[in-house]
Order: sequence, then structure tokens, then C-alpha cells
Amino acid sequence: MGYRAEHLLSLLKTVAPLLLGLLGVIILALPIRLFEGAAPTPIIPLVVVFFWSIYAPAYMPSVSVFLIGILQDLLTGGPLGLWAAVYLVTQFVVMSQRSYFLGREQKVVWLGFALAAASASLMLWLVMSLMSGGLLPVGGLLAQMTTTVLIYPLFGVAFGEFHRRILVEA
Amino acid sequence: MEFLGQDGREGFGRRANSRFVLILLILVSILLLLSSLYSAQASVFKKAREGVLDATAPVLEVFSGPVAYFNGLAGNVSDYFNVLEQNKALRDENAELRQWMNEALELRKVVGAYDGLQTYRAPPAAQPIDAYVIGETNDAFARSMIVNAGRAQNIEAGYAVVDNRGLIGRIVDTGARASRVLLLTDVQSRIPVYVEGAAVEGLLVGNTRGKPAITITEGADDVAIAQGQRVLTSGAGGVMPRGLPVGVIDGEHGDDIMVDLYANYARTRLVRIINYEFPEVGEALDAVEDGAGEEVVAVTEG
Repeated sequence: MGYRAEHLLSLLKTVAPLLLGLLGVIILALPIRLFEGAAPTPIIPLVVVFFWSIYAPAYMPSVSVFLIGILQDLLTGGPLGLWAAVYLVTQFVVMSQRSYFLGREQKVVWLGFALAAASASLMLWLVMSLMSGGLLPVGGLLAQMTTTVLIYPLFGVAFGEFHRRILVEA
Repeated sequence: MEFLGQDGREGFGRRANSRFVLILLILVSILLLLSSLYSAQASVFKKAREGVLDATAPVLEVFSGPVAYFNGLAGNVSDYFNVLEQNKALRDENAELRQWMNEALELRKVVGAYDGLQTYRAPPAAQPIDAYVIGETNDAFARSMIVNAGRAQNIEAGYAVVDNRGLIGRIVDTGARASRVLLLTDVQSRIPVYVEGAAVEGLLVGNTRGKPAITITEGADDVAIAQGQRVLTSGAGGVMPRGLPVGVIDGEHGDDIMVDLYANYARTRLVRIINYEFPEVGEALDAVEDGAGEEVVAVTEG
């Protein structure tokens, strides 16, 4: 393999989590209405940001987090900067607690993700309530965040395998 | 998962991910958020949103077909269990609709007779644009859909969007070939409506709940609003035509009058965008079309 190809490959590996996050945003924008719209779509970008911020922050630079958030804001038509701020604050909190999470059992990390999702929800709800000038109902948000937390172990394992087999070893 | 801890426990301060950049970007996001609070429709933001719409529309369009297939599959599983009840309900509904069809045919005759009179001139027929829903924001607070028609199909912001049940929302962003529809349940949605049979004009205000509320802007003090009365667009402001069906009154909840929407967003797939031009003042004087439809109804009822 030539120098140039190797360089390209390493660049591709560095942006792979970013691409996964962007894919998660696209999935959020698809008209997925399983069971007559009763099952909310999980917020996969939050899982992506959380996972790589803990285990390999070098693969999830803040600029990537910012880009994922901005794309989500632009695609959902909400206030610009809201999801970017939510994801970046999540990364900030997670990275300040990194040394605690590293090497812990998956159950503990899962609990950590639940806390991160809860704080992200609180932030979203506060900002949106402030914008609409009244306290908004929390039902929909709770359902979506619960779904996201429930699917976390699945994506945690999948991302772990992806990171080890493709990003580190290949 | 030892391999995952391999880049050490040093936390912040790595070359590729410094705390400084992170905090800087958080500040940038908050700044963006504050500025979009004050100027949500600023042209820069609008351009960016439209650009993203255009860039993602082809991707969404490719995926929306298979997604609709799987939605149908998952929906069908639960349908199998209540197919008998559904059949019975459909037969009942069909019988009822046949009566309505007869009544509509009668009314068409009456309207035809009025059309023949010289005093009435029909408003120019609208040329609606049909489009498919290719995207939907699955977000707890922002409620919108993305449809595959845009400026190339002469779609502009403000146009009303209906499906086969009733009004679903209005266009807010238009890309070259895709547009965003703000649904009636979004917190930013405000649609001028009136309640049929009660001299009440109001705004339908979205609040992310399934049933938006009406804020009365004009009407008698002791408004008698009963459950089941129809809610239609009033056309105030001249952006939407008058008389698009929105829903029925569901009841009062505190000060709010809740509206049970005709639209069922879980089933909306094909939509119709109504490119309505508000008539010029001269035309409006020639053809006092507003209220003409209601008069016909009144005549046949009397």
C-alpha cells in the first residue's frame, strides 16, 4: 500500500465515528413509524458521542460532535445549536468522568449513559420550554430517551466490536 | 473489554481532543442558540436549512421506500388480530359514507344552479401539487415532515398541506426539490381557524401534544362550543384558503379548547400542497366568494 492510500485509510478511520453519528441523524429523519408510530426512534448519535468520548476520544474530536449536532438541528428544523450544545455538554461531562468509567463493568457504563441521557433530556426540555413560553409535556421526550437507554447495550457491543476489529486492528 | 482502555486514563488534554476546543465549541453552540432565538428566520440560517434539505433529500428518498415497507409489515401484524372488528367498522362506515355521497351529489346540483347565476363567479381553481413524505423529524419537540417537492414545483413557504383526511400543516422551508412541513402539533405552529356553527375565530396553537388547542381571537363572550363541532381554516391573513378541514372539537381542558385533528400523522404518506393565491382586491369585489359555500348549506338546511 502506498503512502497516500495509507494516509487516506487512517483519515477514514478517524472520521468513521463521525460518519456513524451522521448516519444516526439521517435515521432520526426517516419516517420510521413502527407500530403506528407508537415506538419512538432512538437517538443513536447520543450513543455514538457517549461511546467514543469514553473509550477513544481521539476518534470523536469535539468538532465531529459539533458537526453531528448542527446537522441534526438543521435537519429537524429546530433552533440551531440546541443539539450541538446538548451533545457537546454530554461529551464534556462524560470526559470529565472518563477515568471513573474506564475498565468498569458494562452495567456501570450503561447506568452512566442513562444519567447522561437524563441530563440531556433536562437540557432539551428547559430550552424548548423557555422558547415556547410554557412548560412543555415531557411524555414524548421520556419515551424517546427510555428507548435510547434500552438499546444502549446493543449498540455498545456493536460499536465495541466495530472499534476493535475495524478501527484499531484492521 | 480491556482493549477499550488502551489509550490510557489521561482524560482531557489529548492532542486530538483538547478541553479548550470543546469549551469553545460549547460557547459557539450557545451563541448560535441565542441568536436563533432572536432571529429564527434569519436568511443565513434559512439558507443553511434549505441547503441541508437539498443535500439529504436524495438519501431520504432512497430509504423512505424500504422504511414504508417495514412500517406496513409491523403495522399489519397487529391488524391480523382485529381484522373482523375492522371489517365490521368499515362496513358501518361505508354505509354512512354512501348517505353522505348522496347528500353531496344533491348539494353539487344546488351549487351548480348557483354557479349558473350571473352574480356568482367561482374563484380561480387552485392547482395543488402532490408529494410523498420522505422524512419526518422523530424529535420529542420539533414536529415536521419532509416532502419531495420544492421550488422546482413552485412551492413557497406558507402553503397549506393536506392529506386525505384533512390539514396536516404548512410549508416552512423550501429547498430545490424538497420542503419541510411544520405539523399542527409543533410548538411553533399557529394556524388561523374558525369553529363551524359558533361565530368564533381563533388560532390553533401547537403544543407537542396530539391535540392542539384553540386560542380565541374573536367571538362573542358566551361562546357555546360543543364537542364534535368541526374546526376549519379561517383563511385569516390570506395565506391559506378558507374552509380546509382541520378537526373536531374534543372538549375543554382548563382554558384550552382542544381539537381532535383529522390528520393521523402515523399514516400520512401522500400529501397535497395547496398553492393558494389570495385574490386581488378588485377580484375579491367581483366575486364575493367567501361565505358563498356556507350560504348554500344554509339554504338546503332551511
